[in-house]
Amino acid sequence: MSAGLRALVRFHLTGEMEGDDRRADSRLRSALLAPYRDLSQLRYDYPLVLVEGSAGGGFVRSLSSVVDAVLREIAPEGGQGERLRKHLLRLEAAMRALVAEGVEATLSELWRLAEHELLSQCDEEAAGQLRESFGQAEAAGLVDGRVIDCDDGTPSQLFQHAWDAVQHERSRRALEEIEGLLLRLSDILKADFQKSEEAKAPKNLRRSVGIRFEESFDFEALSRVLKTSSSEGSLSESRRERIRSVLSVLESQRFFALPTDAEGTRDQAAPHSFVFDSCTRAWEVFRERVPEMLELLKAIAIAELELENRYRESEHDALFGRFGETSLTPEDLARFPSYLIRLHDKDCEEREKARLIDVLSSGLPLKILVQTSDILGKPSLGDGQFALGVRGMQLASMAVGLNSCFVLQSPSSDLYQMRDRILGGLTYPGPALFSVFTGAVENAPDLPPYLEAASAVQSRAFPVLAYDPGAGGDWASRFEVTGNSQAEADWPVHSFSYEDADLQRVSEEIAFTFADFVASDRRYAGHFAPIPREDWDESLIPVREYLGLAEEEAARAVPYVSVVDENDILQKLVVDQKLIRATRRCAEMWRGLQELGGIQNSHALNLLERERETWEHERERELDELREQALREPRAAVAPPATAAGEAAPLVMQPSEPETDTETEPRSSDEPYIETPRCTTCDECTVLNSRMFAYDENKQAHIVDPTAGTYRELVEAAEACQVCIIHPGKPMNPDEPGLDELTRRAEAFN
Amino acid sequence: MAMSVSAPRCLQWSDREDYQLEDYEAEVPRWCTGCGDLAILAAVQRLCRDEQLPLEKLVFVSGIGCSSRFPHYMKTYGFHGLHGRALPVAEGIKLKRPDLHVFVNTGDGDCCSIGAAHWLHAIRYNMDMTVLLHDNEIYGLTKKQASPTSPRGLKSNTTPRGTHLEALNPLSTTLGVANVSFVAQAVDWVPTVLYEIISQAFHHKGLSFIRVVQRCPEFLPTHFDPWMHDPDRLLMLTHEDGIQASPELSRTYKQQEVHDPGEMNRAREIASLKDQIPVGILYRNDEAPCYEDVVGSGPPITGPEKIQASVEAELDKFTVWPPSEGREGRG
Repeated sequence: MSAGLRALVRFHLTGEMEGDDRRADSRLRSALLAPYRDLSQLRYDYPLVLVEGSAGGGFVRSLSSVVDAVLREIAPEGGQGERLRKHLLRLEAAMRALVAEGVEATLSELWRLAEHELLSQCDEEAAGQLRESFGQAEAAGLVDGRVIDCDDGTPSQLFQHAWDAVQHERSRRALEEIEGLLLRLSDILKADFQKSEEAKAPKNLRRSVGIRFEESFDFEALSRVLKTSSSEGSLSESRRERIRSVLSVLESQRFFALPTDAEGTRDQAAPHSFVFDSCTRAWEVFRERVPEMLELLKAIAIAELELENRYRESEHDALFGRFGETSLTPEDLARFPSYLIRLHDKDCEEREKARLIDVLSSGLPLKILVQTSDILGKPSLGDGQFALGVRGMQLASMAVGLNSCFVLQSPSSDLYQMRDRILGGLTYPGPALFSVFTGAVENAPDLPPYLEAASAVQSRAFPVLAYDPGAGGDWASRFEVTGNSQAEADWPVHSFSYEDADLQRVSEEIAFTFADFVASDRRYAGHFAPIPREDWDESLIPVREYLGLAEEEAARAVPYVSVVDENDILQKLVVDQKLIRATRRCAEMWRGLQELGGIQNSHALNLLERERETWEHERERELDELREQALREPRAAVAPPATAAGEAAPLVMQPSEPETDTETEPRSSDEPYIETPRCTTCDECTVLNSRMFAYDENKQAHIVDPTAGTYRELVEAAEACQVCIIHPGKPMNPDEPGLDELTRRAEAFN
Repeated sequence: MAMSVSAPRCLQWSDREDYQLEDYEAEVPRWCTGCGDLAILAAVQRLCRDEQLPLEKLVFVSGIGCSSRFPHYMKTYGFHGLHGRALPVAEGIKLKRPDLHVFVNTGDGDCCSIGAAHWLHAIRYNMDMTVLLHDNEIYGLTKKQASPTSPRGLKSNTTPRGTHLEALNPLSTTLGVANVSFVAQAVDWVPTVLYEIISQAFHHKGLSFIRVVQRCPEFLPTHFDPWMHDPDRLLMLTHEDGIQASPELSRTYKQQEVHDPGEMNRAREIASLKDQIPVGILYRNDEAPCYEDVVGSGPPITGPEKIQASVEAELDKFTVWPPSEGREGRG
């Protein structure tokens, strides 16, 4: 072991290194993030447009999708639409740059600003063409609304907007109902009034005829005649009073803002607010408003009975008299606006956290948004003990455990993709928790919040998960982790290309692990040490592969992460044992979530294994029986009948290789093999390794030499084979790296 | 027509009888790995080897499209020509050279779109040739454009909101043409059956039409997965006059129907199946007349007879005819 390597191993095991100058530079970022220096040059989910006046899933659109929609409408495919596409994409880029500079505006304002900027940069002819294109786009009709970028305030703004959209629709429905009731109840009172003495008075009769014809009538005489008619059928005093009281409750309720009526007589107090920044306050207010809610619900129920003349005092008086808090059902609550509570993890006191759990377990329609700007927490116990999960994951896991609470965990980078889930949570009749990592970490100032948030989800430190109790009765319907990148894998793997010292292109696959995520946080710089270029050799193992090594192998290896510095120079950092432990823990937590989400569920896998064993046992038994039967029967009986010369033999599809060998000598499941007769000659395996796989005389693939390549190639060939006929068997070389993972992948094909 | 091998090599092979599969292989196919065309190519080369067909007696004709590169990969005569016009070219060849084995390789665009008119009449003419319709339900050569056989709703570069119309069914269409004589369907992912169907088609006298449902790994990589991964969605058509499934195959493909290829009505019903892909021979009529038999192939254009006739015609110009009665009278 060289001196350099010895120092790296020592650092890995102890976290200590001679001389502070060898500590990792804190201005590093994971190598996979190198291409994203300037986000304003990319088309991605942000900036978002909070669409005004839109219900349902259209409440938010990405700027790119808005531009794409316009282009689809106005720009024909091919060369004809090319100019329009170029112009609008330039405009989009200009708008993106303005938002990145911190301009806060609506889409239409931003559009004009960007347009002005572009027009000022070009000559008259080009400006004319641009104006024409922009005019066409505007004529196509644009959505409008505030444009927001990914920053600390994003979740709050987005959820407020979504909540507004949901409440707007709910209020519209409620108001339609209340206004209908008000109108029809008033009509009952009006009809009743017409039967009263007052209505038949000359003054009232004159008013009902109008000015133009008042000279034509003798209202005194008319009044006398009308007063002789019967006044039967007028309302009882108690009913009249009840209807008045209901009207008064409906008009004075403060849950939904009634429009001003034509006469301007309606006197509604300012509507209630439903958005809070404290659980305690929201809870108190909710409790205070319960009597009002009960009054309104009662009023609506009585109004419906009155309109159909079904209110029986003997029966209903007592019934409504008993109507209290305990009579409320979730359906009743769902008619009222839900409460939106916006919390920030860093400002959240212990009392508030305790109240949060009360609220979530209450079953009431309170929607809580918890924003977290730091999921790692400050290093506390020992030197840099990670508080991983305490802030983000635990909250969501706890809420999922409550069973009846809607839970969505997502970093702000994925909120746009989760927009339907957001609406689902806000319309869910019970409580909902939205746990969002904003990515605005103070300790990673070089990384934009979007990248930080996206890194958190990629590294499984803050995975996307959704739990919707309204989706069904079982976990398969309720729980979902498929919003994560490469959800089937422990870590997402991406290809990474760079230029080496000889100016040659090098490509490799890099997994984005928890350690890669931590690498950009300056608080944890002490867990990494740069590896001098002269020490880059095969004893360095990427963290993902290192985690899969057996203990003995791990002792000889040094785990590293690939990072780039501010000049995009590739560096490798050795990772210390503490961070490796935290990475392992992160992977275990992720595997737990995978299992809940139905990915590699251990119960299901065990069951599958048991079933497979039973099936194999059964097959063995059948084969034994067949062998015994074959030995008992005379050989001639199984020989094919001779055919006469020139006579066409019946065509029976035979596999290209005689199957008898495989039947008499059952193939060991440890050996790799191909079901050659089923091969479609698709070239996948032969292109992968032509020394290992080759075609036979029928141009169908078989394994010529299983040792002519790695087990990885066997597994990859099996995965690439579209008809799934390659069976990789068991690995032949126990020293091949990553065997655990490969064996797991091979299981599906053996 | 151009032959893909040099004349000396051809002479070397002329007296050879034990053809190997490699003898039919020309250049390395340029198709994508995983392409169903490769399975069809392998099956055809195997047929040629098993039948020991002389290279100079084979001709492969194609139109335009991915599948139409087929003649380049056969070391035989070939014609890679006009879009949609593979069938008329093949008919011309067959008419003048009935001794050649003619194969036509055509795609779902080449046959069912631009070449649809030729397709219908070629079925009616029923000339002795084997037509392989490579149907991947997409235009691969033009990078994912909808074809007439693309299922309704399929999103492609030409139909970003999904195709509007029901797909054309090549089997039903062919079965609806007068004088049809052989219609079969195969899938590229069951190579043993593909081979058997091509073999039976080759032995059929008349135009044998095989639709091969094939995958396009590049532009529709998962399109046929529901059928590939569920053997019960393949309906094997078996019959003593058709395909007989081996026990190994029957274990995998349990959905089988004994279908008499002489039953046109049932064949049309099977062709219209939506959920299952029928595989096997749907229809066969050995009695249907072939156009070349009815009209004949005309006077020979080469060979000793033609040379003899031409020499005779030239010499006749100088012949001193024996005096006839008429001439005598005038002379």
